[in-house]
Amino acid sequence: MSYLVLKDLQKSYTKGGSLVVNKMNLSINKGEFIVFLGPSGCGKTTTIRMISGLEEVSGGDILIEDKSILNKKPKDRGVSMIFQSYAIWPHMTVFENIAYPLKLQKLPKNEIADRVKAAAEAADITALLDRHPAQMSGGQRQRVAVARAIVVKPKIFLMDEPLSNLDAKLRVTMRTELKNIHNKENATSIFVTHDQSEAMSLADRIIVMNKGVIEQIGTPMEVYHDSETRFVASFIGTPPTNFFEVNIEEINNELFAVSCSFKYKIKSDLKEALKPYLNKAVDMGIRPEFIDIFKEDNQEGEFLCDTNINFVEPQGTHSILIVSIGGQEVKIMTTKYMDIRTGTKLSLHVRDGKAMFFDKGTTHRIR
Amino acid sequence: MDKLNIIHKTVISIIISTMVISVVVPLLFFLSITFSSDVEMTKFPKALIPTFAVTVKVAPAEDGEYEIFHNRGEGYRSIITTKNPTKLENHFRRQYSVTISGEKLLEDFSKTRVNGSMEFKYRKDIFYNFKQFFAIVNNSIPALKNSVLVALYTILISLSIGSLAGYAMARYTFKFKEVINVTLLIVRMFPVVGISIPMAVLLIKFGLFDTLLGLALLYSVPNIALTAWITSSIFIGINPELEEASFVFGANSFQTFMRITLPLAFPALAASSMYAFLTAWNDTISALILTNQNQTLALVVYKAIGTTSSGIQYAAAGSIILILPALVFTFIVRKYVNQMWGGVEL
Amino acid sequence: MSKAKLENSSQIGLTNSKGLSSIFNKKTIPYLLLLPAFIYYAVFWLAPVFAGVLEVFTDMNGSFTLTENFKLMLKSDLFDKAVMNTALFAAISVILQYFIALLLAVLLSRKFKGSKLLMFVAMIPMAITPTAVAILWKTGLIKDGWVNSVLMFLRIIKEPIVFLNAEGLAAVFLIVLIDTWTVTPSVMIILSAGLQGIQRELKEAAYTFGANKWRIFVDITLPILKPSIITSIILRLIAAIQVWAIAVMVLGFSRVPFLVERIAFYVDAVPGVATSEKLAFTFSFTTTVIVFITTVIYLRATKKKTKQGGNS
Repeated sequence: MSYLVLKDLQKSYTKGGSLVVNKMNLSINKGEFIVFLGPSGCGKTTTIRMISGLEEVSGGDILIEDKSILNKKPKDRGVSMIFQSYAIWPHMTVFENIAYPLKLQKLPKNEIADRVKAAAEAADITALLDRHPAQMSGGQRQRVAVARAIVVKPKIFLMDEPLSNLDAKLRVTMRTELKNIHNKENATSIFVTHDQSEAMSLADRIIVMNKGVIEQIGTPMEVYHDSETRFVASFIGTPPTNFFEVNIEEINNELFAVSCSFKYKIKSDLKEALKPYLNKAVDMGIRPEFIDIFKEDNQEGEFLCDTNINFVEPQGTHSILIVSIGGQEVKIMTTKYMDIRTGTKLSLHVRDGKAMFFDKGTTHRIR
Repeated sequence: MDKLNIIHKTVISIIISTMVISVVVPLLFFLSITFSSDVEMTKFPKALIPTFAVTVKVAPAEDGEYEIFHNRGEGYRSIITTKNPTKLENHFRRQYSVTISGEKLLEDFSKTRVNGSMEFKYRKDIFYNFKQFFAIVNNSIPALKNSVLVALYTILISLSIGSLAGYAMARYTFKFKEVINVTLLIVRMFPVVGISIPMAVLLIKFGLFDTLLGLALLYSVPNIALTAWITSSIFIGINPELEEASFVFGANSFQTFMRITLPLAFPALAASSMYAFLTAWNDTISALILTNQNQTLALVVYKAIGTTSSGIQYAAAGSIILILPALVFTFIVRKYVNQMWGGVEL
Repeated sequence: MSKAKLENSSQIGLTNSKGLSSIFNKKTIPYLLLLPAFIYYAVFWLAPVFAGVLEVFTDMNGSFTLTENFKLMLKSDLFDKAVMNTALFAAISVILQYFIALLLAVLLSRKFKGSKLLMFVAMIPMAITPTAVAILWKTGLIKDGWVNSVLMFLRIIKEPIVFLNAEGLAAVFLIVLIDTWTVTPSVMIILSAGLQGIQRELKEAAYTFGANKWRIFVDITLPILKPSIITSIILRLIAAIQVWAIAVMVLGFSRVPFLVERIAFYVDAVPGVATSEKLAFTFSFTTTVIVFITTVIYLRATKKKTKQGGNS
């Protein structure tokens, strides 16, 4: 059942100007943890600001439980938000910060106190209630923001890069806690980030956005293993996917992806899809971890080419090898730590079915 | 290294103490003068600390008169010989700031008939100069009231109009923003004297000449611009997310403004009100031009310097009355502004 | 925070008030907020300024004249002295005050015991009403005043000096000293606030690259402080050009003529004379023009230097 629906949602800041959000369609289920992932300026923050009512909508509609909320003020939409800067009011104590939304609802005092206490417990800040924000660390302010967000029992939690101002270690702890709170509160959450590892670890579904357009909607595994567009393939994964410009050529009834330095035989299951691209250029993408290396040419996997190692970056559990194919730098992630030296000659193979091809025009996956 | 450090520290402490002394010593002398009697005013060199009592030597004279001697530093000198109680009373009041009845003095002095010349010590009325100031400058009490009211009006006008403009400048982009910004700067720097005289003509037209509101209207001219400038820099510093959070959590525009924006901007408003207050409180020239009957305290004190050629100590007392509110206001606001949110970044 | 974000987020709430009439849309709101200030300045600033200018360019009979009133001003008593004194006063006092204040601020830039108390003391002269400052110094500068008392006590002088008889340059310098006493501590506070605002890393970075204390001061501290110094100097200059109260209250009218002192003179000392008002208007106009020209020249000069130096 769709809980929140975005219908052809559009946003431009100037009339007839460029679209920051372009015909966005999305439906979110109750209880889902949705992550908007994309580079800065992709429209993800604008989208949740439109959902919250802080930003006017230029076109399309937003529905919560099948009712349009466009004409509602932020306070009547049943959403709550955690801001990037936390937006903890410095002139109020922690208690007053959390109680503020309830006071505006003119709830009785004892109910306010009870609910603030419960929220503070959930966010683990009971000891801080009397303090002023000036005396608190970033992590503590973050928790206050969380408590303030849950105290109103919203239909939807909106989180605008809430972890980006924390240090790396705290970020990891806080994201586990956010997920826990999401589960406990049985909430529906939308989380905005540009950090893919955050997205991967938190999301039920990730919405990958770029330039105001949804590139792909899918589970973390789907967007990673089954990238729908060239952008998704390039944006998700570290190190990023290696791309080659190749020509599709037919030799002896077999299809080959041909670049200046290799000739890669295309597997039969992609043959049909790639037929229309015969003698045309497409983008071929291979994730670094899906390139297997062998000391000598081997029949396993799909042979790509032979090359020498330019550089080795040991990572502890694994190594990243940097080789050059046709003058282009290519990164390879080994499955385990390997003691290889620069200059070693290698034979590169693509793991079965892991080569991706993208249309140069639409950038969509060819399959 | 250690030696250098000691020299460094010594030099710094000498400089600091020189500075403190050069600020504090004039102030102390000034304070001392406001408590000085007329006779102390003629003494030289001046004392840093005023006396709280006066000693006179009294010798019996003929016809029941008494000769009174006073030491101004060069030994006792005969000052006055009289037996008239009113004359005595006036003399003690005017010369020594001693308020005591003439009869009482005569009674005291009568002892000299028996003992020969004696020394008498009388306590000074240390607030004599202040009382004299209010007595001599007969419109000083209304002037004090006027000053407070004018300052209040100026604060109200400047803050209400200026902070709105400041908010607009901080939170919106619009055409002519740059032009308006420059205009505000010009107005802020514009010498108020430059418009005081034509302002008088204008105020006569409006029937506001020689009114407190008229004065406040003039003082608000630079202060509206100043308030706009101060508040806009604070509003820019207030993260808009703080207001947005309020919207999301259920407040309307008015509630957000009253409960979030205004309290956060309070330091700016306090600072602006301080400047507005000081403009109104300290000005003399515009008050000179724009008022007739409804004079302000600063103007009254200024005029007192001219009228009381001797007895500058009365004007000094008046200026203490003038200084105190400004000093108190400045320091309270300053302290408040500094301590505001514990220096948290807004 | 990026400007774009600020702009975007500024439309909140105000755009949501669709229930309100359409004049409250986001485009008109800034103008609505500025409207009171507009009206105020149109009535109470532009109109008087215009009226003042009109006065300057009309003669006694109300007919237009370009130079009549200026000739009157040029011929008026002490005009040339007033201009000279004002220029001298502004230049000397501002230079002196900033030199002392900067020196003090740099020396005191490190926090030490009692620095708060020092700031407190330094703020007092600033908060004292000019009238009171004048009386304070008048009581000091009379022949048997406390200045002579202190000087004699310190054995700097043997005979009391009659300060209030000072003439010409000496008198101007007397006013400069009084002004310096009043203003320097507050300038020092502004500068030391600026100094403390400079990140320590910036100076430490220069230090690690081999700069000594003096070079750090010249290359790092001063350029960073420059914007705030410039603004405060302009404000000081403007205030200095408008000096009058101290001069009149300490020495009396016409003793040390200044431009604004002349205005006060014609308004206060010789009112009712037909030419007095014209002269007051013309002096106001001239003072205002001078303030503006000074500000513009100063701004231009500092901007040019910045561009050439390219270090800010």
